Amino acid sequence: MGDFWFEFVEITQTIGDGLFFGATYSLIGIGFTLIFGAMHKLNMTYAAASLAGAYVGLAAFTFVNAPALVVFLISALASGLIGLVVYVACFRFIPVNNHLAALMASIGALFFIDEIVVHTTDGSPLTFPAMFEYVMLEVGPWGLRGDLLFVLAVSVASTVGLLYVLYRSRLGLATRAVSQQDVAARLCGIDVHRTNATTFVLAGLLGGVAGAMTAAAVGVLSPLVTVPLTVKGLIVTVIGGLGSIPGAIVAGLLVGGLENVFLYFRGVNERDMYVLLLLFVFLVFRPHGIFGSAIDRD
Amino acid sequence: MLRVRDLVSSYGKLDVLRGISLDAAEGRITCLLGPNGAGKTTTLFTIAGILSARSGSVLLNGEDLTRLPAPKVVSRGIALVPENRLVFPRMNVEENLRAGAYARRASAAEIAADIADLYRRFPRLEARRDQFAGTLSGGEQQMLAIARGLMARPRILLMDEPSVGLAPLIVDEIFRIIQELNAEGVTILLVEQNARMALTVAHKFYLIEGGEITFSGSPGELEEDEVIRRAYLGAQKE
Repeated sequence: MGDFWFEFVEITQTIGDGLFFGATYSLIGIGFTLIFGAMHKLNMTYAAASLAGAYVGLAAFTFVNAPALVVFLISALASGLIGLVVYVACFRFIPVNNHLAALMASIGALFFIDEIVVHTTDGSPLTFPAMFEYVMLEVGPWGLRGDLLFVLAVSVASTVGLLYVLYRSRLGLATRAVSQQDVAARLCGIDVHRTNATTFVLAGLLGGVAGAMTAAAVGVLSPLVTVPLTVKGLIVTVIGGLGSIPGAIVAGLLVGGLENVFLYFRGVNERDMYVLLLLFVFLVFRPHGIFGSAIDRD
Repeated sequence: MLRVRDLVSSYGKLDVLRGISLDAAEGRITCLLGPNGAGKTTTLFTIAGILSARSGSVLLNGEDLTRLPAPKVVSRGIALVPENRLVFPRMNVEENLRAGAYARRASAAEIAADIADLYRRFPRLEARRDQFAGTLSGGEQQMLAIARGLMARPRILLMDEPSVGLAPLIVDEIFRIIQELNAEGVTILLVEQNARMALTVAHKFYLIEGGEITFSGSPGELEEDEVIRRAYLGAQKE
């Protein structure tokens, strides 16, 4: 009985930690889904741009010893700016119906940004300032890690901020109008290009926060994180349903939680294999994702 | 008011409009009739700036709007109520109306007042103000699309096939609304395939066939039956 109880606490603790960390996946998923919702195109550069933003934040920390809040702010702004550049370079001038060209261009930009990072850091991982790493709240037999609580709190705050902009502002009205009916949006006086550019910046701001948080939670920033984070982001986006923000939130937490379950039972080497299997399970049995998909409703 | 001269517009290499000229007079309902594929929608899309004209001109009260993109055309006073309504399906009725006023630099109070006015005109929209536009019936969506167009406070309202896909009873209602709006001073350029219905409200009409204006006149003239036949069937070549 004692063993069983011990194991139960271990597993629930693991799942809980995973759910908390999954909040960063939710943010990345929201970014992917936001851009997909607006343009019906995948921006493969997104996770790389998010991490590049975090690198800029780290530079501020390293060179001028900026405080944590400023590091996050700079990460977000840098990533937003990169988002704008990516929009102009990979989406703005490519014909609307040429999805493949935009996809390939954004994959190119992904590796381009990655190469810049590798070049400037000589490819070696850099220490990122951890947040609240020694804080631990005890709730019964479980412990709430301070760094993960921080991740969750920032994710919730960013998501609420985004939803506020989307559903309560003139800019959000334009963003949703363009994503639902772009011809009608133009007839209403909405500039589609400017709105799409803004969507990229918004998603970028969110990504910068997610990138910095991922780095803060793990304690390092490394170019090796780029591709796995891209893959996780895509998985979350597909599982949540392309274009669905609530879907991305739930799917991010789900992937984070399950990831730790796989880690607990099968070890770190097999973890990502099972996460990818999860993707295939969804693609086969529920291709529209948890919350259905925006593409089929139009 | 609206003056279109020698408008040429094309999809790729295919000229769809081959020199359209027409006038829509202030306070009047002008109808553009014609069979499928004659270029009616293309004409409206080109005037509204969704498609860009290859040559020719579009003037509104003397101001040249020919090369302006759609968002700028709206702010100059031309609103288009598109074919198949094209409401924003996952925005509620009120948000659709707010989107209609996007081009205006109006205060929140002005917009609220305009929305209240439109709710008085379209009580069915007020009843559904918090519902997603995609869940409305076809007739309600058409009313919403018209109301959204009016939210731009246009000097001229272009309407593309407002009766398409609606039950006869609803079509009657839509045409009653068109006449009411016009009675209140709204200038209208109406595109219709339902020529018989359109001629009951039109002050002046044009017949477009194969990308060219082939006939124009006022209802009540002798050729009306011939116009109706050709608007439905296209010109019969012996």
